[in-house]
Amino acid sequence: MDQEIMAILGPSGCGKTMTLKCIAGLMTPDQGKIILNEQALFDSQQGINLPARERNIGFLFQNYALFPHLTVHENIAFGIKSLPAAQRNERVQQLLSKVRMERFGHRYPAQLSGGQQQRVALARALAPEPEVLLLDEPFSALDTQVKERLEAELLEIQADFQGHVLFVTHNLAEAYRLSSKMAVYETGGLIQWGDRQTIIERPANKKVAYLTGMENIFNGIVSGIEGSRLDIGLGTDYLSLYLDNPSSLEINQEVSLAIRPDYIKLADKGDVNCILAELTGSTEELSFYSYSFRFNEKINLKANIPKSSGPRLIVGKSYHLHLPPENLVIIGDNVSAGRSS
Amino acid sequence: MVDVMAAMDLNPLWVSLKTVLVATAITFVLGIIIARWMARREFKGKSLLDGIFILPLVLPPTVVGFILLWFLGRNGWLGSLFFEIGRPVVFSWSAAVIAAAVVSFPLMYQTARGAFEQIDANIEDAARTLGSSEWDVFWQVTIPMAWPGIAAGTILAFARSLGEFGATLMLAGNIPGRTQTIPVAIYFLVEGGRQQQALIWVLVILLISFISIVALNYWKKHQRRFSSRPNREVTSDS
Repeated sequence: MDQEIMAILGPSGCGKTMTLKCIAGLMTPDQGKIILNEQALFDSQQGINLPARERNIGFLFQNYALFPHLTVHENIAFGIKSLPAAQRNERVQQLLSKVRMERFGHRYPAQLSGGQQQRVALARALAPEPEVLLLDEPFSALDTQVKERLEAELLEIQADFQGHVLFVTHNLAEAYRLSSKMAVYETGGLIQWGDRQTIIERPANKKVAYLTGMENIFNGIVSGIEGSRLDIGLGTDYLSLYLDNPSSLEINQEVSLAIRPDYIKLADKGDVNCILAELTGSTEELSFYSYSFRFNEKINLKANIPKSSGPRLIVGKSYHLHLPPENLVIIGDNVSAGRSS
Repeated sequence: MVDVMAAMDLNPLWVSLKTVLVATAITFVLGIIIARWMARREFKGKSLLDGIFILPLVLPPTVVGFILLWFLGRNGWLGSLFFEIGRPVVFSWSAAVIAAAVVSFPLMYQTARGAFEQIDANIEDAARTLGSSEWDVFWQVTIPMAWPGIAAGTILAFARSLGEFGATLMLAGNIPGRTQTIPVAIYFLVEGGRQQQALIWVLVILLISFISIVALNYWKKHQRRFSSRPNREVTSDS
């Protein structure tokens, strides 16, 4: 792994923060290994457990955890007390300007806004030049505008930071925007790890699919494969769909197919991968209509159709929907897991 | 009144000051160590132990004195030890210190523990990730952050040991110049019908206690400096 941003994505309470604390040495895992740049920080079998102060890992806490009794300047200088005074002050000044807080050095944390506190916390974590920077839900406590600016600043700082950045979030969009690699967590631990495109396009299993916003998942039995065409039995009915890679499947295998609501399009009869579905509900979002369809009597599909593509559809009528082959994903707890994890 | 003052024996003042200062110093150190230990640890019987530490606060001082006598008296298991090495505790100046320390300990312990428990563990963790040893974390983060609480506890403990009467009288007795503190002196002056002299000691105690309370309020104000957010101009370029 080169200098890049990695994200841990998962619902709250799934052990994401605990993972960060274990890496930083603030909590001790029951067993396993933590290795950073070929150095073992923790190894339960060999009895290695480096204390936090020797790990050289920067930690940005969700609630910033600034020292309330110290000024901004003193907070940033806290981790570099071993430097001579002149050098230390220079480094603090440099970091203050990096996070655009030059004029706030003498303030106390309680006198700063949330966004300002976070930038001070970031400067403080960067001061000792850590090998890894860990960010625990860095943007969840901020309002949208501050958040956008801080995200941009984080990317800027990351560009000239000589280490890895690992951050934890429950927000898929945030993880996707900021990171190149993602680890998806669920209660109990890691369920998929890979580059962000793979995670989004080829989730290893249904849990990952749900967590990454793959809302339409339906199950069937494979009844025929011919080239890129897959025939699946859905209860009493059959459906023929064209997919990118059905060859890995076998006849009579149970299969889950999934597609994001954003990829479903309205179609004319006769297109490939076309299904007739009844509209059962609709809500109006900022730039699209969110529709709920039902086909084959029991399968629900959610589709987000841009407002620009036509007037609002009428609930109770049936429409033809197109499921593009390149966006239709096969999910099997065994099928694509091996490939992407 | 001038005659009364001229004829006054100032010994109770010196005995009280000496006793209170030493007792407060002991409570200060023990209170901080035990409070810190209790604040960050979970174990079986923790609330029972906590109850024992708080008990002297709610017990009548005579009961505390009785229990201390039981431990430290000539036949007590600890007292007999001291008796054998020729330094009996009972009716000595150290008995006055012990009585004052025991009754004031709960105030120091409870206030300091509250202050430690209020500290966000993440802040101490932040210091650890920034390379601080446990010793540094304690002195540079925990103590400064808990300081207003510790100071308040110290003042309360000081005032309580200054006012200690019952346990002191039972354990240390009323030996002028050695164990006779101001509260004990007041009791015996009134009993002996010397109201005017008693009044002077009453005024001395009133003055010291009043100063303590003012100091306590000052610390509470100081505590607000970083525990809440002053609405000073927060510049808009956040």
